[in-house]
Amino acid sequence: MSTIVALSTPRGRGAIGVIRLSGPSASSIVQSLTRYQHEFEPRKATLVQLHCGPGNTIIDEVLITYFKSPNSLTGEDLFEIACHGSPAVIRQVIDTSLSLGARLAGPGEFTLRALSNGKIDLAEAEAIRDLIDSQTEAAARQAARQLGGELSKALEPLKNSLLEVIVILESALEFVEDDLPAASQNEIEDTLKTVSKKLDHWTKSYAAGHLLHDGVKVAITGRPNVGKSSLFNKLVERDRAIVTDVPGTTRDTLTEAIDIGGIPVVLTDTAGLRTSVDDIETLGIARAEQAMSDADLILLVIDGSVPTTTDDEKLISDTANARRLLVVNKSDLTTFSPEAANGDTGLKVSAKTGEGIDALRCAILAAFDSKGVESGGLLITNARHHDLLARSKREVDAAIQLLGERRSEELILVPLHNGLRLLGEITGETTSEEILSRVFATFCIGK
Amino acid sequence: MSFDEAFDVIVIGAGHAGCEAASASARLGANTCLITLNLDLIGQMSCNPAVGGIAKGHLVREVDALGGIMGRVIDQAGIQFRLLNRSRGPAVQSPRAQADRMQYRGEMRHTLEATDGLHLRQGKVVNLLLDGQRVQGVELEDGRQFLSSAVVIATGTFLNGLIHTGRRTYSAGRAGEPASIELAEALKNIGFPVGRLKTGTPPRLDGRTIDWDAFEPQPGDERPVPFSFSTDHISQRQIQCFVGYTNQSVHAFIRQNISESPLYSGKIKGVGPRYCPSIEDKVVKFAGKDRHQLFLEPEGHDTNEVYLNGFSTSLPAELQQELVRMIPGLGQANIIRPGYAIEYDFVDPRELGPDLQTRRISGLFHAGQINGTTGYEEAACQGLVAGVNAAFFVQRRPGFRLLREESYIGVLVEDLITQGVDEPYRMFTSRAENRLVLRHDNADERLRGYGRQIGLVDDRDWSRYTARRLRLEEIRAALDTTRLKRSDPQYAAVAGVLDTDLGDSISLAQLAKRPGVSADLISSLLPTRVHMAAHDPDLQSALADSLYAGYLESHNATVTRLFQHDGLRIPPDTHFGEISGLSNEIVERLERARPTTFGAARRIPGLTPGALSTLLVFLTARQRAAA
Repeated sequence: MSTIVALSTPRGRGAIGVIRLSGPSASSIVQSLTRYQHEFEPRKATLVQLHCGPGNTIIDEVLITYFKSPNSLTGEDLFEIACHGSPAVIRQVIDTSLSLGARLAGPGEFTLRALSNGKIDLAEAEAIRDLIDSQTEAAARQAARQLGGELSKALEPLKNSLLEVIVILESALEFVEDDLPAASQNEIEDTLKTVSKKLDHWTKSYAAGHLLHDGVKVAITGRPNVGKSSLFNKLVERDRAIVTDVPGTTRDTLTEAIDIGGIPVVLTDTAGLRTSVDDIETLGIARAEQAMSDADLILLVIDGSVPTTTDDEKLISDTANARRLLVVNKSDLTTFSPEAANGDTGLKVSAKTGEGIDALRCAILAAFDSKGVESGGLLITNARHHDLLARSKREVDAAIQLLGERRSEELILVPLHNGLRLLGEITGETTSEEILSRVFATFCIGK
Repeated sequence: MSFDEAFDVIVIGAGHAGCEAASASARLGANTCLITLNLDLIGQMSCNPAVGGIAKGHLVREVDALGGIMGRVIDQAGIQFRLLNRSRGPAVQSPRAQADRMQYRGEMRHTLEATDGLHLRQGKVVNLLLDGQRVQGVELEDGRQFLSSAVVIATGTFLNGLIHTGRRTYSAGRAGEPASIELAEALKNIGFPVGRLKTGTPPRLDGRTIDWDAFEPQPGDERPVPFSFSTDHISQRQIQCFVGYTNQSVHAFIRQNISESPLYSGKIKGVGPRYCPSIEDKVVKFAGKDRHQLFLEPEGHDTNEVYLNGFSTSLPAELQQELVRMIPGLGQANIIRPGYAIEYDFVDPRELGPDLQTRRISGLFHAGQINGTTGYEEAACQGLVAGVNAAFFVQRRPGFRLLREESYIGVLVEDLITQGVDEPYRMFTSRAENRLVLRHDNADERLRGYGRQIGLVDDRDWSRYTARRLRLEEIRAALDTTRLKRSDPQYAAVAGVLDTDLGDSISLAQLAKRPGVSADLISSLLPTRVHMAAHDPDLQSALADSLYAGYLESHNATVTRLFQHDGLRIPPDTHFGEISGLSNEIVERLERARPTTFGAARRIPGLTPGALSTLLVFLTARQRAAA
């Protein structure tokens, strides 16, 4: 049985948000999240600090209540984490739990576990079933309103492309004695690559759309002494980070939750990236790299008062594929040149005087503007949809890999069917009968 | 009432379903009677003279593993064996064999006659004798009445059979044999929902009038792979088949005369299989294709009759003769028996439980084409399931069923009884979600144990199987423990051939997963203690396990996560109408299909996610309440 996690209070801003974790590894996940040295006492609220995300920084103080199996709602080990209601913090906790082996709970899954573990009797089950019905209806109404069935419709061509390939491969191995046209490996590969690209695209639209709602993670990075910590202090509007002239002052990552234009942002200051002989600094650099890979947006800071160094150039190319803003700092100095960054134009700011900081805030918001993603106005906002699409993409990529290795059809078909099943969780399942129907409509089969 | 004879189990029909049913039932100790219209046509191959093929070959291997007889009989009567899909992975390879049609019948009859407790009777069953909702026996056309506690109906295309050639139609079960009209009426009168299906067969040619040089020979395998796990080798002399093609003038002629075809004149109401289309269908539906493939399949060593596979037709006989002569190489060919289409009744298989017993009449079992399937192999496996369960019914032993996760037979039975059929049902590997597990070569590892438990696998076969298991274990252990190291003399050559880095050391089991690694290569690397030829079936099985291990994990991860509740049982006394929150339409679908597991319910077309979650909650709650 897997361990499931979900936000149990309504989404959006609230005073607190309660996250539930249930299952065999709930306990070890919570231990990792809290670094709590003792056993949690059942049925007692314990105040602990929560370590999450890059560098395992403390992001919140939370109340944790432990319900020991079998005396819990689900009958399994169950934890309720009551944290402050910032969507960004909540997302961070859930993300970290997922990385520690939990998975997102499906609709009604806590209740289902309660039922199967005998925590609810028949009468209660009747009531809950009605509730699930109404939830399904509500969900259906909501889906209809939000998307107008658009997501299913938008995914239809992808599903069709997948089916087309499945039909060709299934026919090839099922009807060996028939005189079928030889399948073109290149055409199949092209079709699958297009599907993968589109799935990737949809997945990214989730990032754009959903982050605005639940909060975004922004990491400030750059080589040492370009003014990252000053910029951090400016954005959080207080002297949180220690600022000196000595390169490499920031040894650890620092994280603050702030608000930009109503959007919750978790801002992380990182150690300057360079090759260091100092153990502590090296550790800080590793955490900085972790923060960069976790971030939804990277602010790459360049010192505009001096020519770019090879460290700068390396960072520019390393982050080229990430969602990134180039920030050229120190516009207050006389030697400043905004074109410093290798011809790339950056945002001109002075962390010292505050010049350009408002423009930077706007640019951070604009980076998550849904218009940046060509999705025809349709955004993936549901975590479950996002999860299914991302997993489907991985399956399609696996199929492309197997195709490249010239593997036999039945192997290539494993990830293809998986991918189709995952899409089917959104669009409705494709039965093997439907696949066969397509086979017969496409090819003249039969002795 | 007085009876002329009394048995435990009566099987009606001695085709591929009936023979398996009667053999299994008798060998399980039930006093069994097999009634056929013509004792000389036991085990008749009424369509193509071949057994097996992709997915069908899997079924035969499964029947054999369980202790059925089809595999042994075809191994005796097979005149050309081919393992299909050799170039693909082991899970989709499948054995196929051309049969000597007369020899197959002889071998089958001999097998049945040698079975203790099995009584053959010639006659025509016209009615079922009932005691309320229980079957009590059968009544024959000549007035005799046979008593029995269980009856298996395996009447093939005979139920209300109607043959079409051109505009002519006549009642028949097969060409030249009478249809079973009274029995069909009896089933309708009991209240069984009956539908109509259609199938067809091509003309048979006189081999002496064929210009064989105009066709491309298609030899069998040099080393025939037997169907039965009990067969050591194939001793029969092997023959060749031949491949040829139609041409545009054949197509033009068909189009000109299409109105003569009962398929297109509207005379045929039954639904035919899309994967076995008539030549008329091929020409009309795939008009863009400039030729269609044909196979010339000799029907046996002692006959000139040749089966023109791929040319199924119901055009008038005289047109068939003209048409055949337009095919390159058949300019002088004479038709011995014309092709025809046949319509017949089938009973909605959703009437059945997983033991193939009807829910309407206890002790009554249906197997084969009466359930809407097509194919000898599909029929045989149902015959086996029905025969075992008929005997168990009499002996009051609990019913025997197979799951779709462990066998193609399980897939077939579940599909039939929960989804029903719209067209003749044929097995395909794509119907099995667990395709990579359900290999033909491991059918014994999957099912031999069940066969033994049931009582159909004798001591000799069982010790043969346990010996094979020991060999497999030894090979698997050798594959896991033997490592190819960088320091080994063969390392460089292997890495070179595969054009990839293999690390410092790799186990043979891991190596076998790599693309391009052949059984020959692995065989050459095995320690001398277990060294064996690359074509050895045991080595092949062990390598297949290694090859698929990783994919099975990925498949299982997805499937278990999405379908984790599939195994949840739906008790037979469930009244779907009592589950509040289900629409009438959904209740109707569920009542018709009577799924026995949540997974089966999930596969019923038209069940909404909302309905499924309601059902799931209901079942979970009920299960708790019962515990």
